[in-house]
Amino acid sequence: MIETKLGDFEEVILLLVGILGTEAYAFKIAEEFETQTERSVSIGAVHSTLTRLGDKGFLESKMGDASAERGGRRKRIYEITASGKRALENSRDFKVSLWNQFPAFANKLNFNI
Amino acid sequence: MPSPPSLAQKLLEWFIKDELAEEVLGDLDEKYYYLIKNKSTTRAKLNYWYQVFNYLRPFALKNYRSNSKSTTMYKHNLKIAYRHLLKNRGYSFINIFSLTVGIAACMAIYLFIMDETSFDSMHSKKDHIYRLDEVQNFTGTKEQKVALSMPGMGPNMLSDFPEVINYTRFHQRGKRLLSKDEISHTVEQTFNVDSTFLKIFDFPLVSGDRETALNEPNAVLLTEETALKFFNTIEEAQGGSIKMGDNLLKITGILEDVPETSHMQFNVLFSMTTVTSENPDFNDQWGSNFLNTYLLLEDNVDAEALEAKLDDFLVRHMGENSEDREVLDYYQLFLQPLAEVHLNSSDIEHDYNNYRKFNGRYIDTFAMVGIFILIIASINFMNLSTARASQRWKEVGVRKAVGAQKIQLFNQFILESILLALLALVLAFAINILAIPWLNDAINRKLTMWFFIDQPQYLAVIFGITLGLGLLTGLYPSLYLTAFKAINVLKGNKQKGNKSVFRSGLVVLQFGLALAMIVSTLIVLNQLNYMKNKDVGFDKDQIVLIDMNGEVNEKFELIKSELLDLTTIAGVTASGQRLGNNFHQWGFKVKTDTGVFQMTPSNVFVEYDYLDVYNIKVKEGRSFSKEYSTDEGMAYIINEKLVKELGLKDPIGTPAGHGWYPDDSLGSIIGVTEDFNFNSLHHKVNTLSMVVHSDWGFDEMSVKIKGDDPQAAIAQIENVWDRHIKDWPFDYMFLDEHFATLYQSDNQMSAVVSIMTVLAILIACMGLFGLSSIMVMQKIKEVGIRKVLGANAFQITFLLSRNFLLLVVLAFIIASPITYYLLDDWLQNFAFHVDINFVIFIAGALISLAIALVTIGYHTIKASYRNPVEALRYE
Repeated sequence: MIETKLGDFEEVILLLVGILGTEAYAFKIAEEFETQTERSVSIGAVHSTLTRLGDKGFLESKMGDASAERGGRRKRIYEITASGKRALENSRDFKVSLWNQFPAFANKLNFNI
Repeated sequence: MPSPPSLAQKLLEWFIKDELAEEVLGDLDEKYYYLIKNKSTTRAKLNYWYQVFNYLRPFALKNYRSNSKSTTMYKHNLKIAYRHLLKNRGYSFINIFSLTVGIAACMAIYLFIMDETSFDSMHSKKDHIYRLDEVQNFTGTKEQKVALSMPGMGPNMLSDFPEVINYTRFHQRGKRLLSKDEISHTVEQTFNVDSTFLKIFDFPLVSGDRETALNEPNAVLLTEETALKFFNTIEEAQGGSIKMGDNLLKITGILEDVPETSHMQFNVLFSMTTVTSENPDFNDQWGSNFLNTYLLLEDNVDAEALEAKLDDFLVRHMGENSEDREVLDYYQLFLQPLAEVHLNSSDIEHDYNNYRKFNGRYIDTFAMVGIFILIIASINFMNLSTARASQRWKEVGVRKAVGAQKIQLFNQFILESILLALLALVLAFAINILAIPWLNDAINRKLTMWFFIDQPQYLAVIFGITLGLGLLTGLYPSLYLTAFKAINVLKGNKQKGNKSVFRSGLVVLQFGLALAMIVSTLIVLNQLNYMKNKDVGFDKDQIVLIDMNGEVNEKFELIKSELLDLTTIAGVTASGQRLGNNFHQWGFKVKTDTGVFQMTPSNVFVEYDYLDVYNIKVKEGRSFSKEYSTDEGMAYIINEKLVKELGLKDPIGTPAGHGWYPDDSLGSIIGVTEDFNFNSLHHKVNTLSMVVHSDWGFDEMSVKIKGDDPQAAIAQIENVWDRHIKDWPFDYMFLDEHFATLYQSDNQMSAVVSIMTVLAILIACMGLFGLSSIMVMQKIKEVGIRKVLGANAFQITFLLSRNFLLLVVLAFIIASPITYYLLDDWLQNFAFHVDINFVIFIAGALISLAIALVTIGYHTIKASYRNPVEALRYE
């Protein structure tokens, strides 16, 4: 059975796929990750995670267009599936519920959701 | 713009999955050009390499496993082997069980042998240490090897021979009373040793300096266990002092407790300088033997060459002058390597400091028995595998038809047998973990399976042997099976393999070995029983031996009379030495008409009632009596053997005395006893002279008890003892226990041989059981037809059993002479032994025949009563 829980890194990558929309392919996602988190990551690591998320059924992919700076090679564009969205929502809800149970913060923070 | 590094690109293309190559190369290019634009070309190139290496992830790598999997065939073979095991549970059980028992037995024997041969191996100089022994030859006493030497020998060898690097003497001081403040204990196994003792031997010290610990007079070393009897801690003991009598001794070191596998066992070591500082002549004392001497020789010294010089050495130091070689008529010296002291001393007498001395020849016997068992177990495996071959014809035929080569089939069957052997090894390990403690009880050892964990190299040996066993036993069945012709098998032609000469030969070998073991066990038990019950010429039951010191000697008469008042006591006496040992030999002389004769018989000094208490029969003359004042030291009772040696016609009244008595003041012989076996039955009865010497101080009191409750008697004796004796503990032993220790080595051998015989018979029977079931199965149609034609159950049973019985008889004919020869050789160890009776061989044969009949009877009788319809219905 495939593990369907989201890891921390997986969750970020999944969100980035959503953010980048039609530009969501390995190189761009890695770039975006580095800009957003200021942590460096290799394309291989991102690619590996994308594949794993694909295996879990959270992502779909298809080959996109080629461009000159890619030496005329096509890119693989990723897209979140319905179950991927659900996994993200579950993950968020779970954390919010944890935050709400944290007495120091409960009801004092306004999660704008 | 420079393009990405092509080497890195090639590398990536080489390892990455084809379907990923395009997108990944594209992404990396984009990254590369992005970096060139924003950073530098160098950074971009480096980063490209970095990215390539980061694609070395499982998801991206090409799958290098090819479609043809080399392990498939092995997996398949394993599965088939497993299915065969399950399909024929009975045979699998016999196969695995007999191999398991065989391996377990061998492992136990191996442990035993390793334990015995590890004696004295902890000393780093062990290969250069020798014990100095003597061969004594006194008139009136047989020539004997003794583990004794004289105090002057060690020091003079060191100064005479450059090849002797060092020596140490080891002088037994017996049981000593030590005290510290209010605490006092008697401590056994105390020794005087030279300062070099710890330099020659590597007995480890817990504290103290091994270089100097034994240098000073009145220095003492205690073992840890002994020290803690007197002191709370080792620190407190080290440098402290302890009293022995009036002497205050300084504790200069604490020894680790002596390991079990050391032939020297001691609790206390006194420095020899305590003796030599007061009596420097001790180092040049000759003539009497009472201690052990160990020599350390140079590395390349030939011990035999040194031995050759020892005759001259004796003449030099003991002769009147260099021409006087008479001393050599009485003494010769020889050197015994340290490694042989434990296992090769069974012919050496007066060997008091040789803990757990074991007859090394039994080691060979054990090894042989182990190999026998393994052979018997292996034969089961080979026989059952080949006999069951008929069930695998089809398998072999089909495999060959679809292209299996001989070597592949061979591998398959070999693999199966190796697997079974390994399985048996694992089971044997489990069995031994349970069985070894039980075996330890039976033979009084401390064997442990941890040995294999601690020393994995021996585990490797066992593992290797098991692999070899699997290979060897698998060899014949594998060749046998692979030799089938596929065409014959598939046509349905049955192979004519039922009458295998080879298989019959193996059964003969198996039963021959089992038979040899049965007969040997019977003879060995017979001999041990004989020794136990032989009339040795004195009573050894119900005798309690009690240690005596000076105080007990002083109060002996008082204690004796009080003990004799008790209803549980039948007699009390005392002596200088214990029965069952070879008594000390010293000079004895008689004066006849033709002159004075000197002899050196065994001697024992005894108390007046000795002969009565032990019920030793006086043939001529009288026993000792207090009514004659000359009976103290001047009256001798000798045995018949000595009468014969002296050639006395009428011994009673003949003037006689100790060797050192002047010729004109001798006592006389007052009695002659029968030749009783005062030594163990390994030895012939030696010449013996007995004399009363109350003034010499007896070593041991002998109390004969009566009634059914020895413990009550002991309690009463102890009660009397406690009232009179202040400083000496009540320490007793039964005489028959002492005799049991004399035959310990023999008893242990018989225990092991008996256990192994039972196992051997068990394994052989299981094999026969399996074999007979296969044979009955193959002859089922013949049996059916015969029954239809009118054969009765008895005839059928006879028909089916005949062949096996013939094999057993053949085994008997072949095995008997060899067994006879081996047993006869063994019995020569005993001066008193049973004769090998041919009846025992017949008994052994009948036993094995009966066992074989019962074993195969289950199948043959079942077959003979079966309804022939069942057998003939399908055709």
